[in-house]
Amino acid sequence: MKEFARRMIGIDRRIIFLLIAGAVLLPLLRPFGLPIKVSPEVRAVYEYIEALPERSVFLLSFDFDPSSKPELEPQAVALLRHAFRKNFRVIGMTHWLTGTGLADDIFSRVAAEMGRERGKDYVFLGWSPGAGSLIIAMGQDLYKAFPSDYQKTPTQGMPVLAGVRSLRDVNYMISLAAGSSGIEMWYVFGKDKYRFEMAGGSTGVIAPGLYPFLRSGQINGLIGGLQGAAEYETLIKRKGTATAGMDAQSATHFVIIILVLLCNAFYFVLRGEKGKAR
Amino acid sequence: MIFLKRQLPLAITFVMGVTFAFQYYIPHPVSEEAITNVSKWMQIISGFALALGLASIFHVHAVKIKRQVPGWGYSIVLYAAMLATIIVGFKSGGETKVDGAQTAFGWLYDYSMVPLQGTMFSILAFFIASAAYRAFRARSPEASVLLVSAVLVMMGRVPLGQFLLPWTWDVTQWLLNVVNSAVRRAILIGVSMGQVALSMKIILGIERAYLGGGKDQ
Amino acid sequence: MILGAWVAAGLTLFIYSFLYKDNPLFKLGEHLYVGISVGYSVVLAWHTVFLRLLWEPLKKDITENPAVFGSYVLLIPAVLGLLMWARFIPKIAWLSRLAFAFVVGFGSGVAIPRTVSSYILKQIEDTVNPLVTRGADGLSMGFNLASPQSGVNTIVLVIGVVSVLFYFFFSVEHTGPGKVTARTGIYFLMIAFGAAFGYTVMSRMSLLIGRFSDLIKYAGAEYGYASLVLLALTVLALAAWEMASRGRREV
Repeated sequence: MKEFARRMIGIDRRIIFLLIAGAVLLPLLRPFGLPIKVSPEVRAVYEYIEALPERSVFLLSFDFDPSSKPELEPQAVALLRHAFRKNFRVIGMTHWLTGTGLADDIFSRVAAEMGRERGKDYVFLGWSPGAGSLIIAMGQDLYKAFPSDYQKTPTQGMPVLAGVRSLRDVNYMISLAAGSSGIEMWYVFGKDKYRFEMAGGSTGVIAPGLYPFLRSGQINGLIGGLQGAAEYETLIKRKGTATAGMDAQSATHFVIIILVLLCNAFYFVLRGEKGKAR
Repeated sequence: MIFLKRQLPLAITFVMGVTFAFQYYIPHPVSEEAITNVSKWMQIISGFALALGLASIFHVHAVKIKRQVPGWGYSIVLYAAMLATIIVGFKSGGETKVDGAQTAFGWLYDYSMVPLQGTMFSILAFFIASAAYRAFRARSPEASVLLVSAVLVMMGRVPLGQFLLPWTWDVTQWLLNVVNSAVRRAILIGVSMGQVALSMKIILGIERAYLGGGKDQ
Repeated sequence: MILGAWVAAGLTLFIYSFLYKDNPLFKLGEHLYVGISVGYSVVLAWHTVFLRLLWEPLKKDITENPAVFGSYVLLIPAVLGLLMWARFIPKIAWLSRLAFAFVVGFGSGVAIPRTVSSYILKQIEDTVNPLVTRGADGLSMGFNLASPQSGVNTIVLVIGVVSVLFYFFFSVEHTGPGKVTARTGIYFLMIAFGAAFGYTVMSRMSLLIGRFSDLIKYAGAEYGYASLVLLALTVLALAAWEMASRGRREV
């Protein structure tokens, strides 16, 4: 028993890699489709968007790059489908340089799918440097911060931006963030002074750190990770890549839980042996 | 000369810092005009600052090639990839799509950069599993609490866990909204106080590391 | 698009080959990644900063109103940006300090009131929630654990915030009642770190699921079974490299 425990604790890590690969691959090839429970923080975002009138100004900031694509792209797609379904005027932008192409691709793909017109129903402003300074610049004068959009069309006079002078004229804002240049920055440099309502969508890594803001009402909702995206897809009644990935997510979590429990079981067996030897 | 090299930068920091700290509380149009213009200038200056970071990557690999350290061939690959991307990018006018059609630059982005960046970070999943197996042990009461909390959250946040043990979802919600919030809030308050103190030290000239070192400090 | 699928699948598998061992395929993928990222950043930075933010607005303002001072105002950040680049020339490197002073001064000044308001005051405000509320039936306290705003959760929250803040306060020795507070803080911290670990696992696994979904897509007939063929080739290449390295070591 002790020899077995010792061998198992020192097992080649490539076997664990294969277990994880299997746990991801098998449910993707053969999904089992469990129901997804919606958390209050995701429902809050959905209900706020549902309550907004048509042609409301909705700002979606794609503050991530391709490394967080699997978690945040499904969130972006679900939110855009909801916003376009509600006939909002959607403004997109990004703080992350390497995420610009990805953001433009997601935006134009969903807009085309929902039959929306660039310049009239949506605009993708693209990337600009400055982080907090950029948000302040947008809060003071949107056209000075972004004189043209990603397609190099002048923003002044665009039908989608009619009546929008600065961030004060935005009805709802969501930052899809993969790091510190995201939700917190938007609150500190944006909502604090310019008073628009905002929520956050984030990767799983930074989600726990955003709960204090959710509690204090600084953000009115939080969509966390792939699970959050799957919950939002459930709410808009349109399954996408997030829902498809949840079975694999369940399987991998259980593999890790079993590995951790096994490791502790072997550890206790060996510790018991050491105690007896003394 | 000493004034220009040492005192003037500190004076600029002080004036800019105090002005824009107080600007927040002054709603006068002149104050608003000032922040509108200066924040726009910061966007442009940040763009120039990007070049500094990019230049250091150029430099590191140039040195590797010059000194022919082991693996310098890969530095050539890096330079070649960089130049190829820049040439393709400028030829496509910096656009990944033109009238809905993908440009060569867009192709490079979608089929090279996105998979490479995505895969580099996804590889951590394997290492987190292997590390959890090797090191996540209940060696002490605190470690046991950490373990139990992690297992509960891992269960409660996936459909299978919610299906097998529904109460894990409620416990996870409580842990996140109450206990985790309390801890993160305390850390946030503490770190923010430190940030404010550091900002004040910079404005008052006590902290000078940002000036870049050198004997003139 | 088929060529793209082969390139994407190939590069993905090159990076994953690191799971076997650090090898030339991985190094190739890694250096390609850095090179392409830097190239992409250069192109986008040039088009956004120099063309869209600087050159086009300046050109427009100067051609429309050449006599007005305001048309030339964007030259100020341009000059400051160039001063920043003086860092590369050792003789005039000190000029870059002026630019850094400007940027850092603005950043620090702007951050202070906003940080205090958002991170400190607002967070403390939510911590000191009322425990009892006055309703039609008089005063009542909520005991519902499921509701984050209830009285009992507010108590837990206050205990958590205070004990964790105290734990990190090292200027006072953690003895007596301080020791109890600090230990409470540690247990709260452990629970939060456990939750953070759980979420990190979730996040990393999601990234893996995303990449595998793409690989499965590229394994289809419409892409010429790219993933499967390239997987076989990668395994063969790794085996060949391993045998060659073993041969060299034995010599």
